Amino acid sequence: MHRLLDVGLEQLTAMVYKMGEVAEKAISISIRGFVNGKDTTESVHEISDILSTMTVEIENKAFELIAKYQPVATDLRIINSYMKIAYDFERYGRYAWDISFTHKKLARLDKCAGPSGLMHKLFEKVSEMVSMSIRALKQHDAELAKTLAGTEKEVDELYFAYLEQLAEAPVQNKGMMCNLLVSRFLERIADHTTYVGESIVYIATGEKISLR
Amino acid sequence: MTRKNANIGKDNAEPSSSGVKMQTIDLNAWFGAKQALKDINVSFKTNAVTAIIGPSGCGKSTLIRCLNRMHELVPGSRFSGQVLLDGEDTYAPGVDPVMIRRRVGMVFQKPNPFPTMSIYDNVAAGLKLTGSKKGRDLDKVVRWSLEQATLWDEVKDDLKKAGTSISGGQQQRLCIARAIALQPEVILMDEPCSALDPIATAKIEELIVKLKEEYTVVIVTHNMQQAARVSDFTAFLYLGQLVEYGDTESIFENPRNELTEKYITGKFG
Amino acid sequence: MCLLCVIIAVIPLLSILYEVVSRGAPFLSFQFLTNDALHGGIGPSIQGTLILIGLTSLIGVPVGILSGVYLAEFGDNKYASFVRAINDVLTEFPSIVVGITTYSVVVIGIIGSFSPIAGAIALSIMLIPIVARTTDESLKLVPNSVREASLALGIHKWKTTLRIVVPAAKSGIVTGTLLAIARIAGETAPILLTILGSNYFFQGFRSPMDALPLRVFRDARWDDPRVQAEAWGVALILILIVLSLNIAVRLAARGRHKR
Repeated sequence: MHRLLDVGLEQLTAMVYKMGEVAEKAISISIRGFVNGKDTTESVHEISDILSTMTVEIENKAFELIAKYQPVATDLRIINSYMKIAYDFERYGRYAWDISFTHKKLARLDKCAGPSGLMHKLFEKVSEMVSMSIRALKQHDAELAKTLAGTEKEVDELYFAYLEQLAEAPVQNKGMMCNLLVSRFLERIADHTTYVGESIVYIATGEKISLR
Repeated sequence: MTRKNANIGKDNAEPSSSGVKMQTIDLNAWFGAKQALKDINVSFKTNAVTAIIGPSGCGKSTLIRCLNRMHELVPGSRFSGQVLLDGEDTYAPGVDPVMIRRRVGMVFQKPNPFPTMSIYDNVAAGLKLTGSKKGRDLDKVVRWSLEQATLWDEVKDDLKKAGTSISGGQQQRLCIARAIALQPEVILMDEPCSALDPIATAKIEELIVKLKEEYTVVIVTHNMQQAARVSDFTAFLYLGQLVEYGDTESIFENPRNELTEKYITGKFG
Repeated sequence: MCLLCVIIAVIPLLSILYEVVSRGAPFLSFQFLTNDALHGGIGPSIQGTLILIGLTSLIGVPVGILSGVYLAEFGDNKYASFVRAINDVLTEFPSIVVGITTYSVVVIGIIGSFSPIAGAIALSIMLIPIVARTTDESLKLVPNSVREASLALGIHKWKTTLRIVVPAAKSGIVTGTLLAIARIAGETAPILLTILGSNYFFQGFRSPMDALPLRVFRDARWDDPRVQAEAWGVALILILIVLSLNIAVRLAARGRHKR
């Protein structure tokens, strides 16, 4: 039975998926820019603004649905969670911009990633987590969402391993400072993907769990 | 006319320790050959509001009418099972249904104040005609009941007005005051707001939340959001069977049964 | 078209009223109303009719109302349906049959003579079914929600009926009863064989008694044309009594509505 609420939910869902794709794009642009020494601040900034607007639109849509239809059970969980997820996607975009900006400001677009394998591994893992979170969202796949927990642990280990490496480095330079900050941003992005995962589990099962 | 001796008297009932005021055990009810309720096992916690929801014809009204022994007044009706009030079966042989109805009060869907009586007489009617409070200060009790029902301030200047001359929402609160005057232990409400406008409905809902401090309330409603607003526990009935029972928050956030989910999200009926 | 039918329906009543008033009015005087028959008056007839109305009400009204209450409030069984069916038949029963039966059972069988009591019994037999039915129907008009509200308070069924339902149907019951009495006051056949008629005022419960319908009947068949003319006067009095009861009922009903 197609309810009036279903029309609104479809619209809301489309908005959230779109936002996820846009956020994913922002991250991949900024990471590529970092690795290849390109200036991506402008394009990422633009995307970040778009993401802010989308957050507001999604919130408004959610409030509209709540006020009009007084949803309960699954419907309420979906709407509630989409608002949270929108915030997390906005954070993806924000950190993406932080990465581009730090790269430009601090390291003057040097290819700071350097020979260190850890940074590359971090980039890989985090990109993987971002796309997993969006896939799990589209399929409302709680199991896939739960696997983010394991990957987050790996990211944490990589992060701390890298910090140790930096701490023992013989020479400190701007490139390394830049890497330090960027690894922190990556770690935060990973955290947010787990929040998205938690929201997905909540939608699918109604359970409130922690994936960290 | 012989008065049966009630095995259950108000003064010698043990307060229930488990927090359950009323309970049904394997309750079945029929109207002639048609079975309206099938093996209902549900409990109603003390000083809490329990909502009974479900689509039309699912047996909600029949269920609460079994709780105050009004079901048997319908010709051709049948009943089996037990209904416990403070642990004692209200359908045990020798129990006087009239006594049960004084402990379990009821408010109906359409406000029904007694047509020939004033506001004062309506509230006092229960007391006067059951002889329960002979010699008690009727004025005090009437005032207290109307205050409890949050109607006192609106009618205190003219209690001699006809009970039917006030608005629908006020009449419903009058009926609640009338029921409360007998100081029942349980108050049953059969869709009390469906004949009222939104403002009157809001007032009654506030009243219900207040009432649970003193009484155990069971409310039948077809308005999901109302059930979510006022009740602590919810029972979902479908085609005469209890599908799910739980605390209201869980049922409305994450129901265990798929049928419940379908019903409360409006995907059927 | 409808207006034409209404006019046709009303004409007989208007013409009767006209005839009775124009022919009967000349006879109205204090002596006419208070003297006994041998002195040219209809005092005994008026007295008799009033006594009959009183006795009949005394017997018939309580029985009729209580029967009606039973049928409406406690009558959900086969026995009550049977009683209701019989009751409906009795409301339309030929009045002369009621008269002969009462004559045979009460006048001959019990009392041994014509008697006001026999007359009252005969009229009660006609009154009770009507009052029972109007009471039944008035009570049925009281919505069930009122009964439910009372029962839910833990008020016993008989108290619910007596103190809540019957008062709610009060105006219907009173109106129905008064109208039934007004109708019975004019019945002739039942009293013909039970009180017979007389020229004298009330002479005790074992003697015949007069009444207005009987007097009209007697006078109209008298050989003397002057006596025949007098019958119009009697008829006028009878109509006045019946009409005033009717009007009183209507005024009372309207008064209640205004409140």
